[in-house]
Amino acid sequence: MGESYGGLPPGASMEAVARFLAGLRGSSAWPASPASAESFGLPERRPAAVVDADPLEEVAEGGLAVPGVPEPGFAAFLDGIQRSVVLPGGPHGVPLVYGTVAAAIRRRRDDRVLETWGGGAIVRHSLYAPVARADRGVLGQAGAAGLDVVDTAAEGAHPHEVLSAALDAIHRARGAVEAELATRWCARETALLYVDGGIAGLGEPASSDRAVGVVKSHRTVYGGQAAMNAAFAMAAGQRTHAFTVEGRGRASVASWYLRLHAGDGTDPFGGIVRVEVASGAFTSERADSVSRWILAERSPVALPDPRWRVMPYGIRAVEEYLRAAVPR
Amino acid sequence: MAAILGHVVATERRPNTPHEFHFWTALDAPVGIGTIVRVEGTDAVAGHVPQVYGVVVEGFSYSDLETPLHDVLGADGSPERAMRVPTRRTEIRLYTAAVLRHVPDEPLQPVALGGVYLADDADVAVALRMDRYTQGEAPTGIPIGLYRAGATASPIYLDADFLLGPEAAHLNITGVSGLATKTSAVEWLLASVFAHFPSAKGSVAALCFNVKGPDLCFLDQPAERLDGSDLDLYARLGVPARPFAGVEYFAPYTARGHTLNTLRSHDALSHNVHPLRWGLGEVLQHVEVLLNKDDVDAKADALIEFIRERIVGQEFRDPLLGADAHRVQTFSDLDQWFRGVLRAMEERNQDSWRTHHVATIRKVRNRLSNISTRCRGLVADDGLASDLPWGQFRDRGVYVVDVANLEEDAQDLIFARIITKLRELMEKRALGVDHLVVFVDELNKYAPSDGADTYVRKMLLDIAERGRYLGLVLFAAQQFRSQVHRRVVGNSGTALYGRMDVDELATPGYSTLAPATRARLSTLDKGELMVRHPHFAHPVFVRFPRPAVLSGREGVERFPAAGEPTLEEAIVRSLRQLDKAVTLEWVKDAIALAEEDEVLRARNRTLQVRPDDVKAFFRAQLRRRVHAEPAAPRPRPVIRSSPGDDPYAF
Ligand SMILES: Nc1ncnc2c1ncn2[C@@H]1O[C@H](COP(=O)(O)OP(=O)(O)OP(=O)(O)O)[C@@H](O)[C@H]1O
Ligand SMILES: [Mg+2]
Repeated sequence: MGESYGGLPPGASMEAVARFLAGLRGSSAWPASPASAESFGLPERRPAAVVDADPLEEVAEGGLAVPGVPEPGFAAFLDGIQRSVVLPGGPHGVPLVYGTVAAAIRRRRDDRVLETWGGGAIVRHSLYAPVARADRGVLGQAGAAGLDVVDTAAEGAHPHEVLSAALDAIHRARGAVEAELATRWCARETALLYVDGGIAGLGEPASSDRAVGVVKSHRTVYGGQAAMNAAFAMAAGQRTHAFTVEGRGRASVASWYLRLHAGDGTDPFGGIVRVEVASGAFTSERADSVSRWILAERSPVALPDPRWRVMPYGIRAVEEYLRAAVPR
Repeated sequence: MAAILGHVVATERRPNTPHEFHFWTALDAPVGIGTIVRVEGTDAVAGHVPQVYGVVVEGFSYSDLETPLHDVLGADGSPERAMRVPTRRTEIRLYTAAVLRHVPDEPLQPVALGGVYLADDADVAVALRMDRYTQGEAPTGIPIGLYRAGATASPIYLDADFLLGPEAAHLNITGVSGLATKTSAVEWLLASVFAHFPSAKGSVAALCFNVKGPDLCFLDQPAERLDGSDLDLYARLGVPARPFAGVEYFAPYTARGHTLNTLRSHDALSHNVHPLRWGLGEVLQHVEVLLNKDDVDAKADALIEFIRERIVGQEFRDPLLGADAHRVQTFSDLDQWFRGVLRAMEERNQDSWRTHHVATIRKVRNRLSNISTRCRGLVADDGLASDLPWGQFRDRGVYVVDVANLEEDAQDLIFARIITKLRELMEKRALGVDHLVVFVDELNKYAPSDGADTYVRKMLLDIAERGRYLGLVLFAAQQFRSQVHRRVVGNSGTALYGRMDVDELATPGYSTLAPATRARLSTLDKGELMVRHPHFAHPVFVRFPRPAVLSGREGVERFPAAGEPTLEEAIVRSLRQLDKAVTLEWVKDAIALAEEDEVLRARNRTLQVRPDDVKAFFRAQLRRRVHAEPAAPRPRPVIRSSPGDDPYAF
């Protein structure tokens, strides 16, 4: 993957790269604030769904109290970000998307201050385009300048379809750097890593007892109607019974819902996260311990982030770090 | 090379300029308000990587918390829980520094986003431009104190050329009572000046007005307590931790006249205490000092001028006064003269004489005879003056004039005459030394910013504005700088600040200081000072040692002031300075038949003349008086013999 661009200084800002590309295309009319692919508001390609799952514990109708006092158990936090810039209207209406993905782990020192683990963030920049249909001249020169070109192989004629494909590819690239970092952690460290998002798709870490995944979004609800009902019934600090989550091409992991905060009255999932741990060593006691550790991360709060009810401060700190460390 | 301490940052909203920059440090960095740092430039300009030196003037700390409410929320309202959070919020220590110096000086650019290092000894010297005057052929550095930060402890030097002239001069020190160590700082600095004043620049002495209690009464006695840390400072700054060697004290008599009006009256310390006593001639030169407050108009002025020019100290003849010549030497002579004039005018029914109206003559007589009453103890009726050693000031000498217990009039007269005299002599280069430091404590009393334009204030202003060309340098102290006349403080090249009063800090004079610097000033420890000096682009903080002299408070305990003695005791004490064989018995016998006035006069005369045979001289004075001046009636007019006729004069 490209981390230097020949004609461009390594680590050049996204805007600098975008201008460089605009130059290649001979386009002097460059928008004052270039748009990101995310800003087009393209529809989610994944439909919302409730899927069944095999219970790992006795199915409960409501929330299960997590015994004991919340206590910190995580040593580090992993998160990733992605960014994109759209280069509008090529000769055939095929947009190019320049994307950056990055991930970092911030470890908690003994004095409770976070520091970046493993020498910094992993940052990847690529140019996303359907190679067969894009402006070959530009792609050729971009490649020559050292830019990594990813073929999204998009087929639809609509430019939005091209953008959607690019976004999917960027999303996958982000998952890849997260997985890379999580794998490194599990290989080198013995302490527990808090992963923002699931661990099922991370490869090795999905079966490691050193990583816990915490999922904030609930486009797919696992465990069927029973788990969902139980989840909605939970009070803050309670969890649901655990179940096995299996997905296409993913490892199977043990999972359960946990309510960090009372709902806000509008979003039924407000304050609820879904936890993923390796299924190999699953016990109810482990579900309780992991739940206690997660609950302990409710303070300090991640405000002013709007996702503060489901996002610990440690993850916000990783995001802030990545925002500061990755040039825009 | 030293470890990096911080990193310079700048934002559009808070940019760096050529005179100010911002940097952040680790949470445990040894940086505080007043710390001197060096910034290493990032890019060479004209072949040089610029180095910028600065002093920290402000500090900020904040976290990623957007509102304090979020912390409350996260801790569920429990401060205890807030302390136990598993992760500490990201926190910043952000400092603002004022630029002290750019190397090279040109081009003057905003500070680069470089690494920040704690200044070491050499850096401090460069930062404060001390390298220009502490090194080379003729160094002129005068240590003022030690600057400390982290492991650095660097001596800070003032430039003698800018402290004692000719480039700039004068020193002013401000701070609250008791904690600011103002008097102590001046004592220390005098010792430092005496130890380091370059010989190429000639001799230097100090004249100190003791204006408060026993403050400066024991400058020749060793301090009771100097800690190891004080001694270290003396050693590090190269100043001997010794009291002053050549100190002379001067004080007028008390109103009763038995003894000198000073708290330095212990027998063991009397050897260098001298009376300050002025006769008509001395007083008349400065009579405006005391009269300008009253209703003295041009007419009265003219008469005074006439008396000064034509009467005092010379033979005066006028048909009005008959054939005899008048010779006015003393206040009592003058009064006799006035009496004669007025009586003669009355007898001839004349209401003016030599253009002076009788009312004016009466008024002036009144005012002048008043002076000897108002300044009793200082003003001699009898013309026997005892003064400072004009013309014979010695190198490294300290001359203390004790005015602490005097009435305002006497103080004014003393200030006015001494300062005028110093000016005169320094102008003629005839004082005996090339440079003289005049120390005036409680300056807000003597040169206040408001109130009448007094003679004393004029004199102080005059030193402040013109003294540096003459080698006459004012060291002044006061609690509230804002209450001192602007031009007096404005002319001091060097300013020291001890612990400051917050109300004083709120006055406009301090608005250029950053709030944190002001806050530090209001909490300074004893022995800490902020120093402003022409070479320093921004003030720096230093520590100085306790003075090596006995403090006033301890002094009066160790050497309690003698009580107001009986006449006999007073005479014994005085004469024993000249002759140890004088006993109380002898004095009692000698003065048995004399009036108190006569006795005091005889004593004064003896002290002035310092004869070889003290006893004989003293007795002779009494005899002469007793025989020469039978009680009553006095012959009119009395024409007294001049001291030149005195058989005992030498
Ligand atoms: N360098 C020093 N370190 C520590 N203490 C000191 C130092 N110098 C003086 N002091 C102490 O501080 C006290 C006050 O000192 P000083 O009399 O000089 O203050 P000041 O400002 O002149 O007070 P005031 O306004 O009352 O005249 C004294 O008790 C003295 O012992
Ligand atoms: Mg004092």
